[in-house]
Amino acid sequence: MTESSDLLRIENLDTGYAGVPVVRDLNLYVAKGEVVALLGPNGAGKSTTLLTISGLIPILSGSIFALGEEVDSRNPHLMARRGLAHVAEDRSLFFNLTVNENLKLGLRPDKTGMEAGLERALEMLPALRPLVNRRAGLLSGGEQQMLAVARALVSRPKLLLVDEMSLGLAPIIVEQLLPIVRDIADQTETGVLIVEQHVNLALNVADRGYVMNHGELVMEGSAEELLERQDLLEASYLGGELEGEG
Amino acid sequence: MDVLFGAFAGLGAGAVFAILGVGLVVAYRGSGVINFAHGAVAAYTAFTWDELRNTTHGAYVKDDGGSIFLPWFDPIPEWGFLKALHINNLPVEIHIMNDPPVWLAALLSLAMAAFIGFLMHIMVFRPLRNAPLLAKVIGSVGVMLYLQSVANLNFGGANRADNGFWEFTSTNEPIRNFLGMDRNLAGSTLYLAVAALIIGTATWALYRFTRFGLATRAADENEKGATLLGYSPQLLAGLNWVISSVLAGAIGILFIHRAGPPTFILFVVPALAAALVGSLTSIMGALAGGFGIGMIASMGVNATSYDWWPEWLPSDGVRTFAPVLVMILVLYFRGDRLPIRGTVGVGRQPRAPFAKHPLVGLGIGIGIVVLMSNIFTANWESTLTTTLLSIMFMLSLTVLVGFLGQISLVQWSLAGFACWTLIRLSADGTKIRAMDFLAIDGPGWPDPLAALAAIIAAVILGVLISIPALRIRGVQLAVVTLAAVVAIEDLLLRNEPLMGAGAATTNPTPDPNWFGVEVGALDEKTFRTDYWKYTIFALIFVAIGGLIVANLRRGILGRRFLAIRSNERAAAAAGVDVARTKMIGFGVSSLLAGMAGILVAYKVPVITSEYFNPFVGLGFLAFVYLGGITTVWGAIFGGLLAAGGIISEFGSLHFEGITQAYINAVGAIGLVINAIVTNGEGVALMLTNRSKEMTGVMRGTSSSPNEVSGSIDANTQEVS
Repeated sequence: MTESSDLLRIENLDTGYAGVPVVRDLNLYVAKGEVVALLGPNGAGKSTTLLTISGLIPILSGSIFALGEEVDSRNPHLMARRGLAHVAEDRSLFFNLTVNENLKLGLRPDKTGMEAGLERALEMLPALRPLVNRRAGLLSGGEQQMLAVARALVSRPKLLLVDEMSLGLAPIIVEQLLPIVRDIADQTETGVLIVEQHVNLALNVADRGYVMNHGELVMEGSAEELLERQDLLEASYLGGELEGEG
Repeated sequence: MDVLFGAFAGLGAGAVFAILGVGLVVAYRGSGVINFAHGAVAAYTAFTWDELRNTTHGAYVKDDGGSIFLPWFDPIPEWGFLKALHINNLPVEIHIMNDPPVWLAALLSLAMAAFIGFLMHIMVFRPLRNAPLLAKVIGSVGVMLYLQSVANLNFGGANRADNGFWEFTSTNEPIRNFLGMDRNLAGSTLYLAVAALIIGTATWALYRFTRFGLATRAADENEKGATLLGYSPQLLAGLNWVISSVLAGAIGILFIHRAGPPTFILFVVPALAAALVGSLTSIMGALAGGFGIGMIASMGVNATSYDWWPEWLPSDGVRTFAPVLVMILVLYFRGDRLPIRGTVGVGRQPRAPFAKHPLVGLGIGIGIVVLMSNIFTANWESTLTTTLLSIMFMLSLTVLVGFLGQISLVQWSLAGFACWTLIRLSADGTKIRAMDFLAIDGPGWPDPLAALAAIIAAVILGVLISIPALRIRGVQLAVVTLAAVVAIEDLLLRNEPLMGAGAATTNPTPDPNWFGVEVGALDEKTFRTDYWKYTIFALIFVAIGGLIVANLRRGILGRRFLAIRSNERAAAAAGVDVARTKMIGFGVSSLLAGMAGILVAYKVPVITSEYFNPFVGLGFLAFVYLGGITTVWGAIFGGLLAAGGIISEFGSLHFEGITQAYINAVGAIGLVINAIVTNGEGVALMLTNRSKEMTGVMRGTSSSPNEVSGSIDANTQEVS
């Protein structure tokens, strides 16, 4: 079920590196205010999909419509200007700049005042407030992830992509961060596509989910449905049979 | 007190180094490229200024002035039927007005600098953004050679003696009894220093306090991160190229009353040292570094006037060695902290296929040269030997740059060192020829022994130079070795107490006799420089060099070289002794360069150190890269294409308007295109691939060499 009002719509997408497809025939959508989980084991093609949505990897075939326009990998920076924010797997922070400078770079200059955006992000992630003058390279892993999320938030995105938020972090920190993503979607109608290996954590905050394996979509459904079918989820991760999938 | 005054006297030169250094930092932060053409941009802008103001009192004076020359040239020279068709009128000169005011001339000159910066970004460095380091260095060297050649074509190339303007004039009143030191300081020195401080501080503020500066710093560290936040790294790079070029242009205009525009090109060396003091990222560090280097060099030069100063350490050498010393110290102690720009992707290294049948290739080559030697006479025989000499030298670059991946720009100076050593060792205190102006003292060694000792001397110096390379790599090695070129010329080649009476002027070369055979190019009876025995001698040298390189690539040492080129840490993990292998590589390359130096010494009756200036060496690097830096065939193609080689000589002799500057400019364009399109594999591999494709078509097979290289290993492909 896709509609023209979707923030993100992917149709029959093939994408990969040097002309070799890593993701094949992918179809998915994200609507306003919706949190969608993209799940799957290592090497499934989840991060490649997000990088393609951001325009950093060229599309081999198929199409991606994000925020009303077709994605063009020739000018990937324009995606951010249209309202897409991407919390990358490697966090893509600027370690030699301070927390404050990292956040300022995420601000979109407009009439409503940049300070307000900064303040809102710090309200959602108060742990960053005492660290604003510290260099990003000196933060702990959890603090860096908070900064990456905060930097995405200050741009007041319409579509947010979050890649492996739990990578290298203690579960307790992930449990603090993921609900923030849910709050963003609820409060601002931002559409969120979240890539995660921790299935239960992701599905607890998501509305719907897709499961990928070996570059192809193997399952999809509402978060509740997917949580109830743990056996199939496990099979999809381990490469087993998926008879009767929904 | 004199030494202290020397420090103040160095403020003027320091101001130039400082602002050029700041410009280099700006370009590096914006694009990750160390711009060897930065001094050339200053030179072109200074030429533009001088042309507009027409205050020239030098040898070359335009009739009208008030014109600007766009940074290109008529691509098709005026010859034959093309002249009648008038199809070659690409606009180059635009007349603005006679005697434009200072502000307009300055504005137009800076606009020219900005335009050059924009073109450099769009046409060279943007396409090379994900290319390997070597391609970026070559691109930058190509731009330098191009700007130098185009300046030569558009402005005549001769030096200018411009009076400058406002307080920046050579006629400015000196500051008498400066600070009570009983010495007069040149009037413009302090103004230059203040101007540099203002420009440098304003640039620092731009990058410290504006969103553009913040975004530039961010993209410098993480392009992907900046892109994801909505900043275009390429737009930022373009703006930074423009700012960098304007800074170079500004100091070119301010300093023109002190030095002619061509001088600016090599100011890039101390400017690079200044930029390194600032770790390639700190504008204020580069500013301080530039002033420091200018002051230290000036103090050193002042010190040479004392009686206690050793005669064998000339003042020119002290001045040019100061930046080298600063560079080595900075890189040695802080090299690991210098930033390497992270890009979204990095392209692959050029392939280095090995020759399948080197002896067959050698036989064909010898046959062709012997045939040519029999057909050619007079100038053409000389052109043939110039080609052989170029090939000989380029083989040294194939080993060091192509196989080992060490971007060393000093090899041509090693050839010069071998040449000078040979002259000194074979001299016996008597005039070699009746026409010689002077006699050189020396031990009078037999020619083969002197040649062997000269080659060994080049190898020793080359291995010594490789010691910093054990810690310094990549583009930083290119920077240090470029500085070493200038220092070697002034410290060794032009050092008469060390190298003999003619070292700094005209050095008479030996009249070589190897085991009873006269092997010099000069026929003593006819005074013609096309003696066939020299051609055979050069051919033997090139054949030995070619076999050394071909077999090196085929053996385990060649594979170790390629492993180091690909990834030093991985090579070390695989059991390769990186330090030892690098030193062997430098040694082999220096041996080949030394052999080229011997060929130079035997080719001309007298020689000056100008023959070994950095631009000649960079020209060789340019043409071997164009031919193909990773194969023996590439060196052969490079030798044919190089200045004075058969192809360029053919153009010069048969087509009116094709001057050496024209050939160099076209060569520089080819170099840049080659860096972008073929990734340094050059004409040789391109032709090899095409011939294999054609062979495949004729045999009815569909596989192309590219498919093979893509699926197996790029370096195992063979060429015959």
